[in-house]
Amino acid sequence: MNTSVKTLVNQPYKYGFITDIEADTIPRGLNEDIVRLISSKKNEPEFMLEFRLKAYRQWLKMVEPTWPHVSYPTIDYQNIIYYSAPKQNKEKIKSLDEVDPTLLEAFEKLGIPISEQKRLSNVAVDAIFDSVSIATTFKDKLAKDGVIFCSISEALHEHPELIKKYLGSVVPVADNFFAALNAAVFSDGSFVFIPKGVKCPMELSTYFRINNGDTGQFERTLIIAEEGASVSYLEGCTAPMYDSNQLHAAVVELVALDNADIKYSTVQNWYAGDENGKGGIYNFVTKRGLCKGVNSKISWTQVETGSAITWKYPSCVLIGDNSVGEFYSIALTNNKQQADTGTKMIHIGKNTKSTIISKGISAGNSKNSYRGLVKIGSKATGARNYSQCDSMLIGDNAEANTFPYIQVDNKTAVIEHEASTSKIGEDQLFYFAQRGISEENAISMLVGGFCKDVLNELPMEFAAEADKLLSLKLEGTVG
Amino acid sequence: MTSSLVSPPTNVSKTDIYLANLLTQSKQQKPVFNAEFIDELRQIASLEVSSQNFPSKKDEEWRFLDLLPLLEYDFKLASAVELTKQDIVPFILPEMAKSCLVFVNGIFSPVLSDVSALPQGVYVGNLTNLPLPQSKQIVKYLNKTTNLVAQGGSDVFSALNTAGISDVATVWVNADVEIEQPIQVLFVATQSPLTPLEKGGMLIQPRCLVVAQRGAKLTLVEYYGATAQGCSDTAPNQAYLTNSVTEIYLEDNAEVNHTRIQRESGKGFQIGQTAIAQARSSRYTCNEVNLGARLSRHNLTVNQVGEQTYTALNGLTMLANRQESDTHSVVSLTKPHGVVNQLHKCIVDDYSHSVFNGKVFVPKAAQLTNAVQLNRNLVLSSKARVDTKPELGITADNVKCAHGATVSQLQPDELFYLRSRGLSEDQARNLLLDAFAGEILQRIPVPSLQERLGQCVACRTF
Repeated sequence: MNTSVKTLVNQPYKYGFITDIEADTIPRGLNEDIVRLISSKKNEPEFMLEFRLKAYRQWLKMVEPTWPHVSYPTIDYQNIIYYSAPKQNKEKIKSLDEVDPTLLEAFEKLGIPISEQKRLSNVAVDAIFDSVSIATTFKDKLAKDGVIFCSISEALHEHPELIKKYLGSVVPVADNFFAALNAAVFSDGSFVFIPKGVKCPMELSTYFRINNGDTGQFERTLIIAEEGASVSYLEGCTAPMYDSNQLHAAVVELVALDNADIKYSTVQNWYAGDENGKGGIYNFVTKRGLCKGVNSKISWTQVETGSAITWKYPSCVLIGDNSVGEFYSIALTNNKQQADTGTKMIHIGKNTKSTIISKGISAGNSKNSYRGLVKIGSKATGARNYSQCDSMLIGDNAEANTFPYIQVDNKTAVIEHEASTSKIGEDQLFYFAQRGISEENAISMLVGGFCKDVLNELPMEFAAEADKLLSLKLEGTVG
Repeated sequence: MTSSLVSPPTNVSKTDIYLANLLTQSKQQKPVFNAEFIDELRQIASLEVSSQNFPSKKDEEWRFLDLLPLLEYDFKLASAVELTKQDIVPFILPEMAKSCLVFVNGIFSPVLSDVSALPQGVYVGNLTNLPLPQSKQIVKYLNKTTNLVAQGGSDVFSALNTAGISDVATVWVNADVEIEQPIQVLFVATQSPLTPLEKGGMLIQPRCLVVAQRGAKLTLVEYYGATAQGCSDTAPNQAYLTNSVTEIYLEDNAEVNHTRIQRESGKGFQIGQTAIAQARSSRYTCNEVNLGARLSRHNLTVNQVGEQTYTALNGLTMLANRQESDTHSVVSLTKPHGVVNQLHKCIVDDYSHSVFNGKVFVPKAAQLTNAVQLNRNLVLSSKARVDTKPELGITADNVKCAHGATVSQLQPDELFYLRSRGLSEDQARNLLLDAFAGEILQRIPVPSLQERLGQCVACRTF
């Protein structure tokens, strides 16, 4: 690797700034009192507190999973601050003018304008800062179509019946260690409800920002698409650079009823730690979609470029007949990053279909694993799955693994799984050089081409951004 | 279970007591070859078994295969049974009538074995009769692969076998000796109604060691069968557990073609380990066929210890009734320029269940590796089940690695095409199944065995 290339690779993480803002934090540690405190701070109804306590008690009985192909020092769960919110006026904010300008500035810096005049034209944004939702844009416009888009704490007060019905219905409180922890302490998140037959008129988006160095972020997202509804949702995330690791344990639940269609895209760019693996976010996330109704469809698209450790398996449970699950993923790891990511496709209904396209790129000393499960239940007649996981290795210290599990209980199922590993060839680079294209540009084009299948699935504005993000992250990794 | 002997402390689980009892049985097997190193091996292995737990579905390596049916039986060490040549006729392949080694219940039978057709420089026999130059070297080989094998803890059943290591079926080919004559090593379990213990059964622990020295070349057929029936589908018979370990060493430039046929009886259990160590420029081919046993597990472990090795692993598993079969293969490459070519096929019918887990590890040192792995499964009944998990672990960037897995039933359009050509539904189906199995069977280098197994597949498909 030549030196000019080396300087390029060490491009600073541009979202690494810290916003100096007074915050309302609670003491470190976790016990029943903390759970009660979080619940009371959010002024939650009684059933929510019960939900949290039930989860907390289950969590105590569970052990941290050891099967992922990642290694990290033991997390001290008593040394984390479970709730931190920027100080604001006690009363509910009525308009954006009342939001602390420092906060607006912070989001402005991230390229997420929330103030009225600078809004992205056709994207509604819910901005979440540490543990609370700051603002949600275009709420009124969405409300005209009956779409509910707000923070989950707001939904708890305004639509408790929906929360009661759906929260925890896809990811039960004791689903896994991190999901249980999330259920006990989650602070905020987004709530989306698309009523019967409505096509959501604009893209919905949530932007997550961790600011406090000792806080864990535990958000919970719930999206419900009623019969015939459809929605496209995008989440993005960044965090400042700290030497310590922060825990991010989120839960996302999607419910699609008959003929509904949910598209969930993620561009994850948490702080990944420095080149020696110091600092960075531990991203332990449970995401699951339930295709409850016939002909429903859930599609996950993820571009994972950040986090010190990623542990994430967006899954689809295909219950409704003819339902469709899709998973498109790009996971890029560099330096000392570790990613163990993939999907689960659980086929239960008849003629259910799933597609998995996973592209892993590992550079530096990173570990990149695909772990996926395709399970065909005994009643899933005519189920069909196609999986493709390709890995690209850059440098000979990077590691790429695949752990696909295929379990078939029905003879009519047709399953195909393919995986391959390759590298950027000298001859490919030579060809570009011959055409007068620099090495950097050549690599970013090759990577762009490698990831095209997935990038095509992202909403337009974000595809370009993700492509840029990938080439930025990779610049100079081949010498 | 002889639990009356051991008063179980409350914290010891039922399965661990069961394992301890198996160990006691295994240790009762007395070594026929007296050497210090064998005693030592036995002791170390015995400690290893005691330190481990009986595998359960909670262990990643045993996640899909439930060993609980084993616990229904109280296995006792098998004793010698005299068989006549007539009894073993169904297992002896005509090509190998004079190059055949026979073990009955894991015990060497000099009467039934015939190795008269083998040339100079080849030794095929049991450990006791090994010529002196070779027997001095045996310490270098015996149980030296299995110590290396397991990624993440050694295998408890292999250790169990070593703890009771007694005699060893030895195939030794001296340097630069190439033999055309295939060699058969037959392990036969007896099915006499002598001891119809209610829930008893025999514990059989065959052991096999193959050493192909520098530049040697051989073809080996390892055959597991049970007497009183030629076919594993016939009448129910006694339960037994075959716990085998086969070690194969290929030194520089050696070539081994290894065929492993598992046709245990329908009530038999088999857990087998095949461990291979491949030195520079060696070529190893495994043709594995699993047809028998109520429950079988094959751990196939290939360790590359030199550059430029070639490894071909072909496997066919065909199951019916309530059979369960599990193949776990691990290919660990450590040097550059290795080639791995693996094709494993499974056909499952009725209530049967097949498991395939194929791992290929390519660390940083193994640059320029070319590894291809394909697992294809054919599900014939709606109650049958397939679990497959092809795994790649790669840290080298200048390599080509690919794997694939498919699960499907017979294609209706293929059946329709054949029917449009005047074939009956059964004929069409069998033709397709024959072709599916044939891809593996055709790779077996012994014509009579090909034909026999082809027959087996045909009679299974009806």
